[in-house]
Amino acid sequence: MQTLTQLILTGLQIGALYVIFSLGLNLIFGVMKIVNFAHGQFFTLTALLIAVLYPYFAGHGFSHVMAFCLAISAGILASLVLGYLLYQFGFRFFQRDLAGSFILSVGFVLFIEGLLLHYFGGAVKSVPYFVEGSVSILNVNVTYQRLILIFVALVFTALLYWVLGHTKTGKAMRAVSIDHEAAMIQGIPYKKIALTGFLIATFLGALAGAVMAPLAMVSPTVGADYLVKGFIAVILGGLGSVPGAIIGSLFIGFIESFGGFYFDPSFANIAIFVLVMIALMVRPNGLMGNG
Amino acid sequence: METNMKLRTRIAGLAMLACSASLLSSQAIAQETIKLGLSIPLSGSGANWGIGSQWLCDEAAKDVNASGGVKVGGKTYNFECIAYDNKYNAAEGTKVAQTLLRKDGVKFIAGSLGTAPARAMQSLTERAGVLMFTTAWGPSIKGPKYPLTFTQMNTPLELVEPLIRYIKQTHPDIKTVALLNPNDASGQDVEVIARRVWEDVGVKVIATDWYERGTTEFQPIAAKIAQMNPDVVDLGGAPPPDAGRVFKELKAAGWEGVQVVEAGTGADGLIATGGDAAEGTYLGAAVNFDDPSATELQRRLNEGVKKATGESVNAIQIGFYDAVMALRAAMEKAQSLDPKVVAKALPEVTFEATYGTSAFGGKETYDIPQQILVPVIVTQVTGTTLKQVDRLDSQELKDRLQKAKQ
Repeated sequence: MQTLTQLILTGLQIGALYVIFSLGLNLIFGVMKIVNFAHGQFFTLTALLIAVLYPYFAGHGFSHVMAFCLAISAGILASLVLGYLLYQFGFRFFQRDLAGSFILSVGFVLFIEGLLLHYFGGAVKSVPYFVEGSVSILNVNVTYQRLILIFVALVFTALLYWVLGHTKTGKAMRAVSIDHEAAMIQGIPYKKIALTGFLIATFLGALAGAVMAPLAMVSPTVGADYLVKGFIAVILGGLGSVPGAIIGSLFIGFIESFGGFYFDPSFANIAIFVLVMIALMVRPNGLMGNG
Repeated sequence: METNMKLRTRIAGLAMLACSASLLSSQAIAQETIKLGLSIPLSGSGANWGIGSQWLCDEAAKDVNASGGVKVGGKTYNFECIAYDNKYNAAEGTKVAQTLLRKDGVKFIAGSLGTAPARAMQSLTERAGVLMFTTAWGPSIKGPKYPLTFTQMNTPLELVEPLIRYIKQTHPDIKTVALLNPNDASGQDVEVIARRVWEDVGVKVIATDWYERGTTEFQPIAAKIAQMNPDVVDLGGAPPPDAGRVFKELKAAGWEGVQVVEAGTGADGLIATGGDAAEGTYLGAAVNFDDPSATELQRRLNEGVKKATGESVNAIQIGFYDAVMALRAAMEKAQSLDPKVVAKALPEVTFEATYGTSAFGGKETYDIPQQILVPVIVTQVTGTTLKQVDRLDSQELKDRLQKAKQ
């Protein structure tokens, strides 16, 4: 029983991160009908800036919490600026162009990775836990840092649901994702909504980087590792479907947890690809996709 | 007026003479340069190793050139390192090999980093008669079939056995070990040797697992290992940052025991990701050039690599300096720039490596002497530094140096 509890909690923790990450990918696809492979760079930039700025602020007399908050804010802000630039100078011209945006985003990945390597170096950086220690849940030790991760995922998933369901902007995004031309005829400013959607997605990518930085190996390539799994989660759940992204992320989290325990991480990775292929053979548009 | 004309003519003549002389001399320098090719990762997760390696090759070339160059057949040659990014994979490694051999006409590869790109390089170098140094592991890359391939660092065949025997001697109570390795050629090479040696010293291997490079989540495997409660967790060929993550998760799961990373090349990444969970970890392929026993040369190289990469120099990178020194010695001994002739001379010379006087050997293991003979440095993470706990010198090198004295 203890083992089962441990594996379920681990699956939830792993899945929670993919949820935040894949919601961003999904939102971009929903409003702009593009897949942004540079989404991992927002994750990376935020994590790297936290790794560099936290010790800087801590060394200048700020308390641990304050230094952390300042570093996270600066990291997320920098990612938002990067997201804005990528949109204005790139993705704006490739909306609803899957092939063009694919090539563009891969180009951005190489360009940004090169810049990050140049300015931050290739060395792995460390970020301390926001809160040290662990708590015992049903006789299973869970670190506070991982609980924070689950909490953040829950809060921001709920917030995104609320925004999409109850705000004017959210409703406009949904309308655009269903039929952007019809939405424009109804007076919805498509360009403005696309930019807003892109920035919200950027924020989610940056947030994932912020909560994962203390638990990850922070390096200029860290985002790419998470992008693959986040992308698989989105494909499995169904491109453009928010509940699909959540289900896909949790599915991957649980496969990693149970596969890694009963076999090994290598097997878990293979199992993810095999199961996703089987799922897509049954439902080609993903578990919650409607084509 | 006439005087002015004469003066102008003289100045013009001198200028022309100076231009011709500089042109001739630059041509002469160009003719006297020996290009050393490097196939190394300069982007992606292995970029730091590659950047450090390139810096060390350049520094070695600079040192050789500053101390009079390479003297062969009455001529003096300078070394020049040419590096291309192999992105740590076979496909890019093949492109790099083609570029270095076909476009640049390189006859000597001063280092090929990464097993897959090294194999890609070897498939061309041996056929094209090009001498190659590599950091790649595994006995399959060496032997009489590959007479032009030389290894520039300790491989698991040299370092795993002495390290495990040292650990068993230091911790005689250990009875069980769990192994975890990256699922690739490097990890598989280490696992086979480590499993055999642990069993030889009377420690039972209770699990051996694999993970893909790029794995981001080690919590499930750590939970599994912690539940088995082995006395030792041996992460074999895992890179230090991965090892740090595993040890951190093991600590969170409540496991405490002896931690080993045989191929661990440095403490920085291990401590960065593992924090205090890295404490006490034994490493087999790491060197600490901040240690009081380090020589002036080692300190200088360490500082240079730190500036270039932000990390201390590691055992993989340092071989790029040693390879250049070995090449110079072999070329001067052979009095030839023919790679096949130089390759024959290489096992006969001794040269000043960063660890001290070194040579090539390993005939008993590989059937021909292709392995650099440098000490196995056993290190342990203590606080935030790497402490050298033992230096196990190669018996073959000791015998050879002794013989040379007689």
